[in-house]
Amino acid sequence: MSLSTGERPRALPTGPVPDGGRSRTRRVAADLAMGVRFAFTGGREGWTRAVLTAVGVGLGVALLLLTTALPNALEVRHERETARTDITYVDERLPKADDTLVVANVGSDFRDDSIRGRALEPEGPRAPLPPGVERFPAKGEMVVSPALKELLASDSGALLRERLPDRIVGTIGESGLIGSGELAFYQGAEGLAPHIEGGRIVRIDGYGDPNPTSERSDPVLLLLILVIFVVLLMPVVVFIAAAVRFGGERRDRRLAALRLVGSDSGMTRRIAAGEALAGALLGLVFGAGFFMAGRQLAGTAVVFDISVFPSYLNPSPLLALLVAVAVPTAAVLVTLLALRGVVIEPLGVVRAGRPPRRRLWWRLLLPLAGLAMLYPMIGAGRDNGDFNQYLVTGGVVLVLVGVTALLPWVVETVVARLGAGGVAWQLAVRRLQMSSGTAARMVNGIAVAVAGAIALQMLFAGAEGDYTRSTGQDVTWAQMEVTLPSAVPVSSAAAGKLRDTRGVNEVYDYSEGHLGDRALDPEATTTLTVGGCAALREIADLPSCADGDVFAVHGAEWDTGVDMAKLAAPGRKLYLDPSYEGSPKSLEIPWTVPRDVKAAKPRRGLLAGIDRGGVLLTPKAAPDTLAPALEGHAYLRLDESVPDVHDRVRNTVAAVDPLASTVTWTETERTGRFDAVRTGLFVGAACVLALIGASLLVSQLEQLRERKKLLSALVAFGTRRRTLSLSVLWQTAIPVALGLLLASVVGLTLGAVLLKMTATPVRVDWTGVLAMAGIGAAVVLVVTLLSLPPLLRLMRPEGLRTE
Amino acid sequence: MTPPAGSLLSAEQLRKAYGPTLALDGAEFSIHPGEVVAVMGPSGSGKSTLLHCLAGIVTPDSGTIMYGGRELSAMSDAERSALRRSDFGFVFQFGQLVPELTCVENVALPLRLNGTSRKEAERAALTWMERLEVDDLRKKRPGEVSGGQGQRVAVARSLVTKPRVLFADEPTGALDSLNGERVMELLTDAARSTDAAVVLVTHEARVAAYSDREVVVRDGRSRNMERAV
Repeated sequence: MSLSTGERPRALPTGPVPDGGRSRTRRVAADLAMGVRFAFTGGREGWTRAVLTAVGVGLGVALLLLTTALPNALEVRHERETARTDITYVDERLPKADDTLVVANVGSDFRDDSIRGRALEPEGPRAPLPPGVERFPAKGEMVVSPALKELLASDSGALLRERLPDRIVGTIGESGLIGSGELAFYQGAEGLAPHIEGGRIVRIDGYGDPNPTSERSDPVLLLLILVIFVVLLMPVVVFIAAAVRFGGERRDRRLAALRLVGSDSGMTRRIAAGEALAGALLGLVFGAGFFMAGRQLAGTAVVFDISVFPSYLNPSPLLALLVAVAVPTAAVLVTLLALRGVVIEPLGVVRAGRPPRRRLWWRLLLPLAGLAMLYPMIGAGRDNGDFNQYLVTGGVVLVLVGVTALLPWVVETVVARLGAGGVAWQLAVRRLQMSSGTAARMVNGIAVAVAGAIALQMLFAGAEGDYTRSTGQDVTWAQMEVTLPSAVPVSSAAAGKLRDTRGVNEVYDYSEGHLGDRALDPEATTTLTVGGCAALREIADLPSCADGDVFAVHGAEWDTGVDMAKLAAPGRKLYLDPSYEGSPKSLEIPWTVPRDVKAAKPRRGLLAGIDRGGVLLTPKAAPDTLAPALEGHAYLRLDESVPDVHDRVRNTVAAVDPLASTVTWTETERTGRFDAVRTGLFVGAACVLALIGASLLVSQLEQLRERKKLLSALVAFGTRRRTLSLSVLWQTAIPVALGLLLASVVGLTLGAVLLKMTATPVRVDWTGVLAMAGIGAAVVLVVTLLSLPPLLRLMRPEGLRTE
Repeated sequence: MTPPAGSLLSAEQLRKAYGPTLALDGAEFSIHPGEVVAVMGPSGSGKSTLLHCLAGIVTPDSGTIMYGGRELSAMSDAERSALRRSDFGFVFQFGQLVPELTCVENVALPLRLNGTSRKEAERAALTWMERLEVDDLRKKRPGEVSGGQGQRVAVARSLVTKPRVLFADEPTGALDSLNGERVMELLTDAARSTDAAVVLVTHEARVAAYSDREVVVRDGRSRNMERAV
């Protein structure tokens, strides 16, 4: 039998459905593009995921760009500092010429800030202009930095304005400053030349350091900066990893639907990767924005006791390109890794069964490998020079990554052993037992931030001890010291003005000079101090004192190795301001020890903490011939409860002699940089934890939304809202508590190792540990509190409605 | 309002709207202890809303609901929650078991919510699980059991507190006929043995056949149906 329809049957198509001849690359691109489209058209969840990923990636990019820009910024600062160097300790004195300039250091302090100040006296038409200055200010004029200009114009700067009354005729340009927040001025001066002396007033014919050195950062500080960046960056990476998983279940359902209409598993993975890529690319834009904003912000901030101009923060183009490629790639890889345990089938998503029990051994390997990388540098100390940056960074990264690897194991192991308590506890524990990985992932960011911050806290506490040293100054005796230029003794008028200053209780004034046994290259030297009996009694135990007396102090620590009996033998001729071979000739003023010189004993602990010795002269015993070689000093006892007492004194001193300098005494001296770093760390840690808190909250809400029906059912059969709220609290608190515990152990270990590297005794900064743990706990509380209103909303019976 | 003589739970002139949609429009209902009443009707007719109102999950916009001589609609949310814990039991279409708890923990949950100790609650839960032939699943989690088994666990959970009224909303909706029938047999037998009243929401005549009486809800209004013998 044959079929005859009178029509030729049409051939049915055979073989695979034609794909329009598209190449594999184009297909991959099309899949990725579809994923990108889904990221922005996938409803609120899609947008939330894309934006959160973008924020995470953006922060990561901005931080990395900042890291790459930092060395450049420090280099530019150093170059500018070198370019404007004027006062250097050179023995050779320049003669006056038409291209010379006399510069005096008239820098000061205002409250806690240092002010760089220079008095300038050009000696000819070709005198060199300081960088950033267009013309020399005349006497009574000054050019100031923008920050100083702003301060002087403000109410809070009124006190400083009294000290710097000159007319402001210009602003120092960026090339003359090392930071946007720097307080600096150049003022015009006359008659500086007679005061030229090595340290404060010099004659120059050009700016710039004649012996430039390359910038060499303190290795401990470098270590701190490296660790800070790693600590801040790691949680951002963890955040990105969490962000790309937001709305995961809904996305999985969408992918399953795609499978149903014919996508193969490779396509679905590429589409998922495309979604992540969209967030990552958006993140690059965010990152560039964050960086630019941060760059501008850096121009207004003073961190590390220094400020920078935004223009300093230019990352190297190659590194910036690397960041721009690496970060989005990492985001895509994380997504693909997350999909590893998921089989997307057309009828739904199948999780790859009960996950295998987590193994401890390889998780332990990471922190151990990190510690092994740090080990060779233990005991390297500051003195031995640098640390290997790569080993330090690698070691710290591995130890911190170790936290993220160990935490899932810890959470799984611990929650598996937790017994059932109340209903809320049971619900939380069972939920954690079912999916401890999710919980651990959420907490990983907090754990890394806390571990790193604890380690840094310890490093700070240790380094602080190192960088804080006793000055030996007895602040109960005096709180400020005034030094006048050479050849200027403290006149009674000046002392009177100081005494009249509000807040000054007592003024001890002396004139000091350097005494030698020979005019040239003396073998024995000591100090010659001229002062009234009352003042001299403050620095030595005098048997009796009347104006005209001379004393030789015997046995003073100050004069170790000097036989005072021999040096200050009655009738011996000594020389004030002796000369030394190879240095310009000094004044070499002869002075003969009087016959009636009296012996005195040193008084311990006063001036600068050591017992002073030398020869003490009352005013009548000091001939006028000595004056050119004497330098006036005044020690002030202050009532420090008087507001701005130090600045009041500085104002008086500036009025007495603009070239005088003041020093505020402190018991200890420490580089303020650590305060700034510590503050920076706390701010950074708080920001990172807030970020992680936000991701915790979003995850929590998403989880709750997915359980909407179940929550309504639980409420239907009478579950108290309190019970469910408590269960949410436990569900967050248990992994966070475990995370904080692990973070504390790892942080303390890392801190101890870092301290050992800097050869600093290991001390635990428990306040820091508690503070960081407290911040972590606060995050849990805030997340729980913020998730309560939506939880209560989701528990409404409407959740049971299906129609 | 005077409830029908001997009724345990009754409702009169119930009105409930969700936005512009009127779900109940003067619905009436009553049930006696030990009685099984099927609430039938097409999708969107308001039968689930009626069940939710009767169970005190949702408060009606108007009308009265009396339970054991007390007006349910006048009770506070806390009082109604307490009532649901002590006197009512629930079975939903998809079981709505807590996925992270084991089956025995799920069944014991309502007792634990009432303050019963864990051991005692789980002992009672096991008795009910034996009765519903799912005691071998006690250590399994809901994700590891079949739909029919899960629904039987849910029935055990609804009965563990020995409720006076059992609310079942499409209890066999997600099951095949064989499993559905077995669940219905066990549910109605267990309820009758404890003299519990059963409010059974369904749109399947086969399921409604297990009831003593049928109430049909259409456009938010209810009507008692005479059963054809």
